[in-house]
Amino acid sequence: MAFRYLIYLVTIIAMKLENEDALDHLIICDQCRTLHEEIPIEDGTKACCIKCGNVLYRYDSRLTDHGLALSLTALIFFAVANFFPIVQIEMLGNEQFITIPMTFLSLFENGFYFVGLMCAVVLFLFPLAIFALLVLLFLLLKLKKGEELSRSLLIGLSFMKPWSMNDIFLISILVALVKLIGYAQIHMGIAFWALVVFVLLDIYMTKHIHLKDIWMLREQIFMEKE
Amino acid sequence: MDAERTDLYGERMIEVDEKDLIRCPVCEAVNIDRGRDNRCRRCGSPIYRYTHFKTEKSWAYLITAIIAYVPANLYPMLVTTQFGKTEESTIVGGIIVMWESGSYPIAAVIFFASILVPIMKFLILVYLLINVKYPMGKDKKINKHKLYYMTEVVGPWSMIDVFVVAILAALIHMHNVEIIAGTAATAFALSVFFTLLAAQAFDESLIKENH
Repeated sequence: MAFRYLIYLVTIIAMKLENEDALDHLIICDQCRTLHEEIPIEDGTKACCIKCGNVLYRYDSRLTDHGLALSLTALIFFAVANFFPIVQIEMLGNEQFITIPMTFLSLFENGFYFVGLMCAVVLFLFPLAIFALLVLLFLLLKLKKGEELSRSLLIGLSFMKPWSMNDIFLISILVALVKLIGYAQIHMGIAFWALVVFVLLDIYMTKHIHLKDIWMLREQIFMEKE
Repeated sequence: MDAERTDLYGERMIEVDEKDLIRCPVCEAVNIDRGRDNRCRRCGSPIYRYTHFKTEKSWAYLITAIIAYVPANLYPMLVTTQFGKTEESTIVGGIIVMWESGSYPIAAVIFFASILVPIMKFLILVYLLINVKYPMGKDKKINKHKLYYMTEVVGPWSMIDVFVVAILAALIHMHNVEIIAGTAATAFALSVFFTLLAAQAFDESLIKENH
């Protein structure tokens, strides 16, 4: 009994809602779990958590155009980064270069199937899929079509997002090259710079276009349509 | 909330307690916690809240990761064949060699990525998993949500060493000098893979701030 009484004391902050859709105006901070009420904000600004300062949501009236442009650009740079050599070295009279697919293909050749598969997924398959799906998603939102498909795309994206590690790979390239300084002559290939641009675009997009903003936009678009 | 608007409708209201609101882990929409079978209103993904197996899945992944981390440190990460002479180096051995040869930043990066990050992640997850079941009284000052968020952000960076080995192995295979990955690469990749799964399987909503 005493336990139950205690709970009543704590739950004074109860609230009333018209229906479940009213929950759309609530937002929980993903870092500190503080409950917030969503308010309309000006174009191009962001709303931050009062407790920890984490960005809750942004409002961008032309989110589809920006997103489409950025993800298309990223896709093009990703293609360049994969087709051309990242680095070329000269060592003891031998010349050797690598591309991104070669790094995980050589692991397969040496029998490291698990590491090879993991590298293939986090360096190639998922980044490619993420940006291809983003392009498709923004196109759908722009044409205001495919309510169900865009939902599946968003779910797929949120599962793949943590498994894309091109930024870590970029640092790894630098670490590997520093290890080789003194043993070999190193020439940076065009794909390295393409990868730098791709990673910068990726970081910019993860920072500025949250999936929850796209969810909000999607909801708004298909609600207007009804 | 909107006191005036809610009063107009009277009986049609749903009364919710702030503590019963949960966040969908997939699309981040706010949902009402209905006990066993929660489905997100917006994306339809299940929000699992098993009453009896809250932490077991995460424990299982975490223990697998810790077991895999042992061979990752005992077996060689990098096998270098130079003019017929084969040299094997483990993770710690590689760091020591780097440090002694004067490349301090690289030694620090590898130490951070392959030793510090995985061990910190194991400790934090073990702490969180124990704490969720048996709350300790003295740790009110630690923001556990922030701690969890940190492990999620820093976690993937321990892949650096695996990638470096992959790059070196792909880059250096000439007839005099050859580098191939060692057994530890597989063990280490498995360890990272399972720590990431453990962190994802951990149900954040179990963390209760006790202030």
